[in-house]
Amino acid sequence: MRPPLRQTFLTPLIHENPVTLQILGICSALAVTTSLDTALTMSVSLTVVLVLSAAAISLIRQHIPVSIRLIVQILIVASLVIVIDQVLQAYLFDISQRLSVFVSLITTNCLVLGRTESFARSNPVLPSVVDAAGNGFGYSLILVVIGSIREIFGKGSLMGWPVLPTVETGGWYTPLNLMLLAPSAFFLLGLAVWAIRTILPEQAEPLSHQPPDHPEAAE
Amino acid sequence: MIRGLWSRETVALVLVLAMAPLAATWLMAMRGDGLLRLLSALAVVYGWQLIFLMIRAQPPSLAGIVTALAIAMLAPTGLGPVAFVLGASFGVVIGELVFGGWGRNILHPATVAVAFLGFGYPAAPWPDLAIPAAWGALGTLVVALAFGLYSMRLIGGAAIALTFAALAGLPVLDPFVAPAILAPMALLVCDPVTSASTQSGRWGQGLLYGGLVALFLGAWTSASALQVALSAALLANLAAPLLDELALLAWRSRRRRHHG
Repeated sequence: MRPPLRQTFLTPLIHENPVTLQILGICSALAVTTSLDTALTMSVSLTVVLVLSAAAISLIRQHIPVSIRLIVQILIVASLVIVIDQVLQAYLFDISQRLSVFVSLITTNCLVLGRTESFARSNPVLPSVVDAAGNGFGYSLILVVIGSIREIFGKGSLMGWPVLPTVETGGWYTPLNLMLLAPSAFFLLGLAVWAIRTILPEQAEPLSHQPPDHPEAAE
Repeated sequence: MIRGLWSRETVALVLVLAMAPLAATWLMAMRGDGLLRLLSALAVVYGWQLIFLMIRAQPPSLAGIVTALAIAMLAPTGLGPVAFVLGASFGVVIGELVFGGWGRNILHPATVAVAFLGFGYPAAPWPDLAIPAAWGALGTLVVALAFGLYSMRLIGGAAIALTFAALAGLPVLDPFVAPAILAPMALLVCDPVTSASTQSGRWGQGLLYGGLVALFLGAWTSASALQVALSAALLANLAAPLLDELALLAWRSRRRRHHG
């Protein structure tokens, strides 16, 4: 029995978030989150590609031979990515330059192929689209949160608008340069995973080994 | 190390006492400014230890005093209180407390804090250490060595590399450079928890620290002396598990050759 559509949509937002639980799509989450506008553009692009490819693959799921299904899926995803890339270059040229290769790399984003392979391939169109949208929004949620934090603390602005007046413009805030370097996205993502698993302990993985019986003699 | 008198906290206590010469010489040069930095670093370190004690039942450690001293001495100057607290918190929490407290950390929390502040605020100037701090650091090294906390091999390796650097004409003994090399060594590099724990790994780590200091002194002319030494300390700290792994690998292959 398939779960209700509402649940299919809501579960991937936090409970089975593709980034913080399944740790998928990390490369782009690290690369495009230095500012909120690139993170938003990337989120929208990925969600659109994910929803459309899930719909297309679900529509023809009865006709895809099992032996070449990955090739067919990648072909569909890649065609959609090319379309999105061209749209961005036509209407948002500046942002598409800053996103550089990462929009094209949606083709190889584990998240897209993961959803089409594990869900859209074996479910009707409507649940597939809802599942794809849920996962797209789950990915977007993390990207937008990390992108906002990195832009606010790294540049003192949000979407290019000044939020914290920086020292260069006569304010009081010294931008934290580390936020613009890739490691900060690792830290923030790690802290986010930590926070979520503290609130939802069922997400935590079992210990790989047991601590010794007598931890410290002194105490 | 739980043998008779030696528990984690007696080791930490002796380590704190060994820091006395370094702390005293530094405080005498810095006066009120240094004391303020030390007290605020102590407040941050023990604030977080208290939070982890309450939430995770992690016993606090006296070694937090060493961490606070290292952060106060080595962190860039001219930062606002927000940046200082942020950097110290990052080092203490991400560098030490999330791993289960002192004794289970991989990197020295003060190294993490100083690296965070150094990368985060690249324009902030690094502090200058006065020459008495070099003698203080030597005193600390001798005391910690005498109590068996610091490794003779690690210090020997660093001394060999730095002697060669001095012979090659690098300003190792310059009164502004010598304290900048010795203080991070006494505070961070030799730390018994995060330094290499195999005999040849210790030689390797000492040689690596001294060698990196020499390399950076020669090739990285835009950096200040303390920045050079702290970068070398960070890299040597990161390399410690690798050096241990290589030492174990060599030991295992030697055993296989001899005993089949």
